[in-house]
Amino acid sequence: MLNVLMIGVGQCGNRILDAINKEAFGGGGAASLTKYYLRPKFPSRVETLAINTAINDLKELRFTTAKDRLHVPNLHGVGANRNVGKQAFMDNRDMIMGEIEKRGDFDLAFVITSTSGGTGSSFSPLLINELKRQYRNITVITIAVLPFREEGSIYLQNAAFSMRELMDVEAEGIILADNQYLKRFSGDIASAYDKINNMIAQRLLFLIESLDSEMLSVTDLGDFKTVMNGGLRIGTMGFYQADRKNPSVKDAIENSFKPGNLLYPANVTDDSARAMIIVQGSREHLDVDEITKEVEKLSASAGHVFKGIVVKKGYPKVLSVFTMASAPELEAIYAQAARAMQDEKEKRLRARKQMDDAFAHIEDLEEIY
Amino acid sequence: MWSGMRQLIYLAVLVLLIHIVHASNSSDEDTVTFTDFTLNIGDRIDIGDYQAELIEIQSVKDGLAVMRVSKVGGPLDEQRAFLQDNANNFDGGSEEGGITITVTDIFDDRSAKVRVEYKEGLGTARKHTSERPLVPSDVPNLVVQKSFDRNQISVGDEVKVTVTVKNIGTGQALDIRTEDLPPLPEFSYIAGYPPKIKDTLDPGEADSAVYVMSAVKEGSIRVPAIQVSYTDSKKNAKSNNTEPFNVLISPKSRPDLLIKLVPSGPIATGGKGMLNVSLSNTGKASATEVEIEGEIKPPDGLEATGLDRSFFEIPPEQDANYSAELLGEKAGNYTVSLKASFHGGDVAMIQEGKVEVVVLEREYKYLYLLPILPIIVIVAWMYKRYREYKY
Repeated sequence: MLNVLMIGVGQCGNRILDAINKEAFGGGGAASLTKYYLRPKFPSRVETLAINTAINDLKELRFTTAKDRLHVPNLHGVGANRNVGKQAFMDNRDMIMGEIEKRGDFDLAFVITSTSGGTGSSFSPLLINELKRQYRNITVITIAVLPFREEGSIYLQNAAFSMRELMDVEAEGIILADNQYLKRFSGDIASAYDKINNMIAQRLLFLIESLDSEMLSVTDLGDFKTVMNGGLRIGTMGFYQADRKNPSVKDAIENSFKPGNLLYPANVTDDSARAMIIVQGSREHLDVDEITKEVEKLSASAGHVFKGIVVKKGYPKVLSVFTMASAPELEAIYAQAARAMQDEKEKRLRARKQMDDAFAHIEDLEEIY
Repeated sequence: MWSGMRQLIYLAVLVLLIHIVHASNSSDEDTVTFTDFTLNIGDRIDIGDYQAELIEIQSVKDGLAVMRVSKVGGPLDEQRAFLQDNANNFDGGSEEGGITITVTDIFDDRSAKVRVEYKEGLGTARKHTSERPLVPSDVPNLVVQKSFDRNQISVGDEVKVTVTVKNIGTGQALDIRTEDLPPLPEFSYIAGYPPKIKDTLDPGEADSAVYVMSAVKEGSIRVPAIQVSYTDSKKNAKSNNTEPFNVLISPKSRPDLLIKLVPSGPIATGGKGMLNVSLSNTGKASATEVEIEGEIKPPDGLEATGLDRSFFEIPPEQDANYSAELLGEKAGNYTVSLKASFHGGDVAMIQEGKVEVVVLEREYKYLYLLPILPIIVIVAWMYKRYREYKY
């Protein structure tokens, strides 16, 4: 059984972690009640921890136990300032790592964070380094959420610098989720956040369950690490669940690559470096030949593809994990961030000049009373 | 001369008339008459110069009375015993110008009826009542009583009859004899009959005799009077008797056992209870050799300990109580029957009593907690979980 640590850092990471806990209670509205009489049903031994400098963000959580909410005291958040955030982490590093250490040893850790916020974007790279230092054999995967582009220049700036730091650390890989991309399929902002959080939660739990299951065709944590080490070590996930109308496993695999089911805009066929396809469903729906054909078809373009088949009652569910050889959208974000930073810099210079001109009027004058 | 003749005739008629009148007067004086007097001792009859006094009654039974007869200025002064209804002449009797006295009746030892006969020429007989105080005489007077020792008599009951004779007179009673007729056939005599009473009883003395008889036949009977006869010192025979009275002999007394069974209440399955048994003898006789035998129907599911008992005797109007222990083994309704066989006199009798005993289904005392406990656990659990998620 895998020992899994899921850490949600910052407001975004906390909410996704809460969505994971909710999903572990069965998801949906019933989870609000079942949490009072059931324990969260994780496929493996999963420990969750929500870390935040803003206590109000921790209070918003509904499915994460109080002991799994760690407040890092730093007034009320870091105000999207990554430098303040980094200082806060360093000031509280022992406390944070001690809290993690209490939860035992782990094989796999997911650090879930927004790239644009203050706490998550600043804490996560440092936290990953600490995890890799403290747990020598741990596999750390970062779930990084890219911001809405219209959220502002600071967030874009944070995303750009945060992503760079995340790629520099020794984590096994980054799985991207793009709010801007997912918003297109989710309607208004409020429901988009919930839907995005639920999508990420659903995929992560499915991934853990699959890695910890006895498979007809085996994929394990090692395979997953190999996939995540491919290409840029940046990847994303797709998911599809067939239904009674169309229980075809072939269609389910293909649908899992489609843009509407991916967390990040990617052309799987062209951009993927390595992939893992995990299929789950009743035996009568799992046509191994069809699955193999689809995997082979993907392998032709994506390089190596790991295949896992889990026999479990139900219509076919497919999780596809990709690492990308190129990330054009990410480059666009950096360009947009750079422009925003330049604009910010220019605005600040103009403002400073205006202030200097204004102050020039009273130069050589003294106050008279 | 005619006139002289006529005068002579007149004279002769006159003489004749006078002679007739005189003759008629002489005839009345010679007529014998009589008068009856009731005399007490000391009373006296005066007729002419004669006096007759009742001295004593010697014997009422024999009809002897003593009288003293005297003549004032004459030699007659005689005390003589008069036999009842025998005439006694003095001075030749009434025919000869004397008097004849007859005691016609003797009432008691102190009074008698006396007839005196005399010629009317002696005048009218008068009674002089004695002015001497009445000297009490030694007269016995026996009263007799006969009583039963119980008012309610049943066939088979033994009755003690007490005969009491008491001398309430002033003289000694002699030759006392009692005559008590047996009220057969309703009674049979057992012992002590006939009652023995002393032959003599001094004044104020009493004597009793008891005899026992047994009632043998039911019905209302009239108990005859008992008569006591005796004589006084003068051999005067006297007697007294009780009044007869009625007694009712009821049918023969029998015991009547009333069996009352009172269970302590419904018995839980596996639980114990008590059955209180009360045997009340509401009859008039003792129930003897009482054997109690119990039976439970249906026989399985209810066990009883101490239900069978024996009693040597249960007297009338008394109770015998005991308790039996019941053990309920299976739920259901059971009938506990008791049969009491006993003897009542010479008759064997049987009485039965029964009662329903309920053995309840097994009771789970705190069963009501079953639905509450899970709720409490759930609420506690939910509160604990609420606290876990409260930040």
